[in-house]
Amino acid sequence: MAGFTLEAWTALAPSLETKEDWTKWLSENTDIAEHQLKVNLKHVPMMLRRRFNTLGKCAMGAIHQLGLEDPNIPCVFASQHGDTKLTLSLLEGIGKHEDMSPTGFSLAVHNAVSGLFSIIHHNNREITAIAAMQGLIASALFEAIGQLQVSEKVLCIVYDMPLPSLYQPFSQSSEFPYALALVLSRDNENSLSLTYQKEGEAGQHLHSNPKSELQGFLAFLLDQSDGYQCRLNGSTWALQKTVNHAG
Amino acid sequence: MTALQTELKEMIIECLDLEDVEAEEIDNDDPLFVDGLGLDSIDALEIGLALQKRYGIKLDSNSEETRAHFANVNALADLVKNHRTI
Repeated sequence: MAGFTLEAWTALAPSLETKEDWTKWLSENTDIAEHQLKVNLKHVPMMLRRRFNTLGKCAMGAIHQLGLEDPNIPCVFASQHGDTKLTLSLLEGIGKHEDMSPTGFSLAVHNAVSGLFSIIHHNNREITAIAAMQGLIASALFEAIGQLQVSEKVLCIVYDMPLPSLYQPFSQSSEFPYALALVLSRDNENSLSLTYQKEGEAGQHLHSNPKSELQGFLAFLLDQSDGYQCRLNGSTWALQKTVNHAG
Repeated sequence: MTALQTELKEMIIECLDLEDVEAEEIDNDDPLFVDGLGLDSIDALEIGLALQKRYGIKLDSNSEETRAHFANVNALADLVKNHRTI
């Protein structure tokens, strides 16, 4: 069992900005239109702001909503595919024998957004950029819990966007761009725990695609479900509120 | 000459995604990098690529000469003008 405390969380997507918006989306499951993305990045210097596209804007917007007092803490940035739209446009350029944009190249790496974040907030702590084909949220939590062994607090970002249509037949991806930002800490309470479930104890709610994974996790965060289960490398894990036996 | 400088400013704004900057706001003599407009090393590479695409100018990214050409809009205009007369 791995315990931690969730100090704060925010989530941001086009037209989904507050916890009320997300609660409504969970119950109504409305379609999300990418052009409705509104992110206030006024706190980011203009010369750096231009480097963010949709995916990065979601991440920076969600982090900003946390209102962190000290952003110089270890970070985990987790995205299944990253900015594949940008990577594809660079590959298409290569196919046409065009010279590659140095800016485009520098922003197509998986740790581009976390790199820009570290420049803006003068963050010189450990930053991990992870990609996971399965159990993205759980993978991010595991990495963050690992960081908590040596640090008091960890900022954890889970962010993704739809794959370009060319790739969609080959892999699942989020239906819309989004970012989740969480602050994990360790204290005596450890009010949440991530627990290994023996085979056979796997619940009904194993998530078969990125959208249901996100929905399941949000339902847990919004107190609409008792736990969040996910499958990772053949094992099932459950995130639950720690039962206080002493009470 | 002024037309070329405006053209270069518009090229810089376009290739560097300087959405909030107008060509008139960039002073011909102001430094483009760090203290002036505040461009960075990736922008320098991007401008180098734009000069190559638009004017056929190839620059050595490490030379002192290139550094001088990138000082401000006037210096870039001189570079383009000299390249055209060769």
